[in-house]
Amino acid sequence: MNISLNWLSTHLDLSGKSIAEISDLFTFAGVEVEGIVTKGISSEKIVVAQIKEAIQHPNADRLKVTQVDCGEEGLRQIVCGATNYKVGDKVPCCLPGAKLTEDFTIGETVMRKVESKGMLAAAEEIGLPKGEDGLLILPEDAPIGVPVKSLFDSDVLLELEVTPNRPDLLSHAGMGRELATLLKTPLISPESPLASTKQAGADFIQLESPDSCPFYSATRIDGVTVGESPTWLKERLTSIGLRPINSIVDITNFVLHETGQPLHAFDAAKVTGSLVIRQAKDGEQFKALDESVHTLTPDDLLISDESGAALALAGVMGGIDSGVNETTTSIILESAYFTPSNIRRTSRRTFLSSDSSYRYERGIDPQGVLPAAALAIKHIGGSSSETEAAGSLPLPPSPVSLDLGKLQHLLGNSISTEAAEEILTRLGLSKLPVGTWQIPSFRQDLTRHIDLAEEITRVHGLANVPSRLRGTFAATSAVDAAYDADMVLRRRLAALGLYECQTIKLISETQLPDILPLRPLQDGDLIRVKSPLSEDHAIMRPSIVPGLVASAERNARQQVKSLRLFEMGRVFRNAGGGKAKDQESDNLALLISGSTNPSSWAAKDRATDIYDAKGVLSALLPGHTISLKPKDRENVALGAEIKAGDQTVGFFARLLPSRERSLDFNSPVFVAELDLGKLRKLISRTFQVEELPQFPGSTRDAAMELPIGTPNAAIEAALAKAKEPLLVSYECFDLFTDPSGEKIAADRKSIAYRFLYRDPAKTLKQKEIDEAHERIIALLGKIEDLAFR
Amino acid sequence: MNEHIASIQTQALELIAVASDARSLDDARVSVLGKKGSLSLAGAAIKDVPKEEKAAFGQSLNAARTAITSAIEEKQAAIQQIADRAALAGIDITLPARALPTGALHPLTQIRDEATHILRCMGFALADGPEIEDEFHCFDALNTPADHPARNEKDTFYFDSGKLLRTHTSSVQIRTMETATPPIRIIAPGSAYRRDEIDATHLSVFNQLEGLYVDTDVTLPDLKGTLEYFFHEMFGTTTEVRFRPHFFPFTEPSFEIDVKLQVKGQAPRWMEVAGCGMVDPAVFEVINSNRKDDALNPEKLTGFAFGMGLDRLAMIRWGIKDIRLLIENDTRFLSQFA
Repeated sequence: MNISLNWLSTHLDLSGKSIAEISDLFTFAGVEVEGIVTKGISSEKIVVAQIKEAIQHPNADRLKVTQVDCGEEGLRQIVCGATNYKVGDKVPCCLPGAKLTEDFTIGETVMRKVESKGMLAAAEEIGLPKGEDGLLILPEDAPIGVPVKSLFDSDVLLELEVTPNRPDLLSHAGMGRELATLLKTPLISPESPLASTKQAGADFIQLESPDSCPFYSATRIDGVTVGESPTWLKERLTSIGLRPINSIVDITNFVLHETGQPLHAFDAAKVTGSLVIRQAKDGEQFKALDESVHTLTPDDLLISDESGAALALAGVMGGIDSGVNETTTSIILESAYFTPSNIRRTSRRTFLSSDSSYRYERGIDPQGVLPAAALAIKHIGGSSSETEAAGSLPLPPSPVSLDLGKLQHLLGNSISTEAAEEILTRLGLSKLPVGTWQIPSFRQDLTRHIDLAEEITRVHGLANVPSRLRGTFAATSAVDAAYDADMVLRRRLAALGLYECQTIKLISETQLPDILPLRPLQDGDLIRVKSPLSEDHAIMRPSIVPGLVASAERNARQQVKSLRLFEMGRVFRNAGGGKAKDQESDNLALLISGSTNPSSWAAKDRATDIYDAKGVLSALLPGHTISLKPKDRENVALGAEIKAGDQTVGFFARLLPSRERSLDFNSPVFVAELDLGKLRKLISRTFQVEELPQFPGSTRDAAMELPIGTPNAAIEAALAKAKEPLLVSYECFDLFTDPSGEKIAADRKSIAYRFLYRDPAKTLKQKEIDEAHERIIALLGKIEDLAFR
Repeated sequence: MNEHIASIQTQALELIAVASDARSLDDARVSVLGKKGSLSLAGAAIKDVPKEEKAAFGQSLNAARTAITSAIEEKQAAIQQIADRAALAGIDITLPARALPTGALHPLTQIRDEATHILRCMGFALADGPEIEDEFHCFDALNTPADHPARNEKDTFYFDSGKLLRTHTSSVQIRTMETATPPIRIIAPGSAYRRDEIDATHLSVFNQLEGLYVDTDVTLPDLKGTLEYFFHEMFGTTTEVRFRPHFFPFTEPSFEIDVKLQVKGQAPRWMEVAGCGMVDPAVFEVINSNRKDDALNPEKLTGFAFGMGLDRLAMIRWGIKDIRLLIENDTRFLSQFA
């Protein structure tokens, strides 16, 4: 909400208060100051000067050297580039020290070897609206030497955020009342003309919906002239950023921002018979004055007439046909109390909102309805009939009791009872003989002890409350354990050279080909938001990989050569084709691609391959045997379940080469999605250390040749099957193929293993080692088409 | 005979002296001390030496052998020293390193971990809740009326099921209070969602950290002390912290917290970092009626709650001007956090 300081000053004396002080006052009243706009000239050091002489600058064609009279002793020499003045004109002169903007203060300078002791200014340079090009020529009678600001109106516009519980602050009068309370200064009583009111006749108002509209008043005013508003009124509206429209609409807007009470003016000629306040019919059409068309429901309240026309959507917006224009001579002025929840529903459903609905939906002061009408009637002039009213105003708020014991507890005994009660009294509450507090009509938000306690706390200030440091013991939770495990995994991955990413959990349809959920999705398993902001963020991610792919793409565009990314977080899906709803779980995703090492004099560049990716998985879970078990998925290549021992913990794949090309990647992209729930358990393994070997072991090598298509897993399976007690470990140390077929047939590969044999209890004899190795060789030999070399 | 040995020794020492590398030195050694070396051959002649001269012969032979051997060792050491020096001289320590890949935790993880660490040290335990929430946990139980402005499809992501993406982590307060037995002292970092267009200061998915403390004697001094301590730990013990009155439907009284911070090249200014307040008794009442018990009796229990934006804390901590940097994952940005 915008507040003009000049306007606010009609309600209380703010003289002597700096903008910073006033801003702080608002801040500690619970009103956030979002912006301060100073209008007009702020500096005292911009004064009226008369130009006495202007001669050509000796060293610059476009400059003149002027001598000006600023009311000081002697003349002031100023270099100036403008051409729109003549000697004898009065213009603004910025003296050294005049602060024009936050970071521009005028000083004395030398311009092309000529001294210049200030600046002659154009209108926009000193914060006035832009005028003609060149210097601002001041009136001939402007007194020399006086600050120019005294010749122009200035004001400060405060952009304030009022919390939804304080609708009483949504006006200049209300804000003035609050500040007067906080400053303990008297409130200048606003003008409050009285208007007599009578019970409305059915020929004028038919109130059919007392639930949505408990009280409705209307005043017929004849003989009005609709035209341009007087200057004072236009200035008031423009001071808070409103555009003057016409003399009637401007008055209703003025009263709204003065008192907080929304008003509406109908052109009486466009009303047939009496006003009818009724619920809309289902499907009834309404064209608002902003020309938007709305289909209404019986939930919406209409101001209609006996012809059935929809004149206004009550409390929200007038209709396009019923408003006041230049031809209007008679008006009907509405001032009403609409039920807040009703206005909220309609505004929310129609997406229509206005200064009126903003106030009605938060709740207006019932006691302000008729005075606001009277104020408007006074300003509109013409010949007004007596105001007619239907229904009854809501009852005043019930008295509220304040529990002093609870208050002292809350505030750490930092306030006396007297001081607490004094705050309530200043806020307009009064203590009833029974000890409860009477609430003023404009504070409908105060209904419970805690509401009064809040008011006292707010005015008392938390700065005046002591600090205390204590707390009860809280046992570690399962979430703590999961958090700690996640941090271990994160740090491990960072140490392995991966960057942690954070991507938006809403993804687009076009990203779906990249998903890698732990279990494939069925139709109905995706969770889509109902009204996405854009198609880019429409689906709850069932997998983190698409986000990483998008991040990789962004980095690749920046010529990043090595991509090692990971992300942890929530994934979302239904299961069973949508039978089980809204399942959330935590995943870890990895993406590895590009060169293995930054290009360097010392190391040859090499593209990351699948074994690098597998290496990251293995290093992530030391102590567990990580393997990949091929499992086809249509949207990826090399799909495989990630196994830790026998347990499936995730899914691994390479993007389809076609997808890699479409992303402009020129090296393979490996991705993995892992079940974080399982990883957390795996890394929290407890174990007993193995004793270090006491006796030496011996190695034996075996070089084998076998069909190129036989997976290494066949060898590992054979070794596992051997259950050889003396075999401690083995490693694959060489792999050789020759597509040319010269050194080895093109469809064969040579693979070499080294086996370590050891007995924990003794040093093995040569013969024992050879026999163990023979057993291994025998089993390996059973692999189809395997030959030893 | 001694003259013969003396001349072998002289020749040997000359050979050793001129040897310039390990190989020529070894050649010299073999030619003198080898099986067929000159000194070995001379020694073999001891059998022809008269008995009474054998001792003297042996002595001079040994003396020559000792002298030659030590000359060889000395020379060896000298040659090794030269070789070592040459090997070290070839190393240019100013050449760039053979780089190892660096990785980093995301700044949001780092700030979240820092905040979590401080609060866990203060005895808060972590809690969690779903991100796809129902209206009850996100709004109703938090004292937010059905027609509240935040509850519309313009500001909140809804699903056809009627569920929604939680607009704040405050729903975890409700989830926790529904099952826990007081005292309750929890924090819940997590994502929240608002239907905001993404720009330099807004994300539709952002990160919060919620806190809740419910016990028999929780007061405003506890809230103030706890959060002052937290922000002093976060931003330094001399940082000024202020509490501005504010409004949240589920706390009363409510405050926003500002800390006064200096950004490089600017005057110190107040920056909003969190919201907080005393749990509104109405929240306890709703949960009680839902639990069908009196575990959260508002006559006996009080509590405070707080929430802060982790994205904002990260932006303040590292001077990040555009919030989108936090979700774009540009490695030129991320690598600064290594």
